[in-house]
Amino acid sequence: MIDLIGLAVPFAYLGILGGSLATFFSLYKKRKAAKSTSLEPWFGPHVQRNIYLSLLHLEPQPGQEKATPVPDSILKAALLQRATEDIRRILAIKATKPPLSQLLSRGSVGDELWQRLLRAEKEMEAELRDVVEEANALATNWGQTIFQSAHEMVQNEIVREKVAEIQAKGKSDREWWDKERASIQSKFMRELDGAKPAETSKGAASGGVNSDEDAVLVEGGGPSGSRSGSRGGTGKKKKSKK
Amino acid sequence: MDETFTLLPLHLDPTSKAITSPNDTTLTPHLSTLHTLHRTLLSLPSQIPPPPFPTNPKRSAQIQKMRDQGNASFKPKATAHPAQAQAHEAIKLYTYGLEMALGRPSWEPSQLVREEASALFANRAQAYMAVKMWAEGAADAETSVELKRGPGNAKAWWRRGKCLVEMGRWEEAGEWVRQAVEVEGEEKELVELGKEIEAHFRQVER
Repeated sequence: MIDLIGLAVPFAYLGILGGSLATFFSLYKKRKAAKSTSLEPWFGPHVQRNIYLSLLHLEPQPGQEKATPVPDSILKAALLQRATEDIRRILAIKATKPPLSQLLSRGSVGDELWQRLLRAEKEMEAELRDVVEEANALATNWGQTIFQSAHEMVQNEIVREKVAEIQAKGKSDREWWDKERASIQSKFMRELDGAKPAETSKGAASGGVNSDEDAVLVEGGGPSGSRSGSRGGTGKKKKSKK
Repeated sequence: MDETFTLLPLHLDPTSKAITSPNDTTLTPHLSTLHTLHRTLLSLPSQIPPPPFPTNPKRSAQIQKMRDQGNASFKPKATAHPAQAQAHEAIKLYTYGLEMALGRPSWEPSQLVREEASALFANRAQAYMAVKMWAEGAADAETSVELKRGPGNAKAWWRRGKCLVEMGRWEEAGEWVRQAVEVEGEEKELVELGKEIEAHFRQVER
């Protein structure tokens, strides 16, 4: 009798300890799971993916029995668009990951941000597999090349944007230069009466240090402007107006 | 998450096959890019873009032809100074070439676009310089450099520097040439242009 009561105490202790640990652990896990699902997604809504899937599930128009089937070519275009957006996202993840991991190890950012990125990465993996499957369904073996094409499309877009940007800057530069040249010219005209020797000597110095290779270009432009300031200025305008 | 998506209010016109979204105007830009992509895909045999490699050499050959023609009209052997008209003709040819290079279908290798366009922009910059259109020359040279970073484009670097000098933008030119030497190394032309700019600043200080 005494033995049984004496044994019950440690068993009860162990039971309470184990039970409380188990409940704590399960609660902790549940909370963590809830937290990770409630994490804000890294990227906004994937519009191109939504468009593609919406086209697949196009609902019939009011007054129609069946929805008009979407032509394959449109689906292909939509899938390609979806793939380009995927590439953009993958590039974004790749660019963010190393600096973010550094910040994380230094403790500058919270773990939550890192978890969000990892989740986005996992989602992208699933998304890529999905797109490859869809591509193979639309055309034989397209899955092997769709992302190559999409990658080039993204890169080409970047190239064209850059070209457009710099060329636009060149246009505004041109307007600035037109005004600048006109003002320089009017200054020269005023100085024409009492030509200052300082102007000519400055021009000659700058024109003097030229290599053989650029001689062709400079002979066309540089010296005429530097030999005598006033004549060069008027000559410039005449030539460019042609 | 993987199996879900947002159903968008899309509408397919049964006859024209155009996709519209009458209720959601935020989708319009996406749908219009989809539409243009669809149009270009329709012209392809299998309606999917061919893999980037190998590339059809036809367009490259045409672009090269434009470049050669431009070079030929720009650099006549008889006269040392390219005449104005010849330079303008060269600019026109280079511009045609550029249209072809930048008009390449978007799924074709972007590296190829970069190389071809970079060379053409560099050439056109030179032609602009010959007719003293410094602003245009500076922009073209900068575009060329931007498209082909890394060593091997010293001429384009030099051309923009020279154009800036010609426009009297010495500070900018100095900064540009300093960068150029960093990227291209001690190229003879660049070093000399740098010296010219330094000489100018010394002159101003005095």
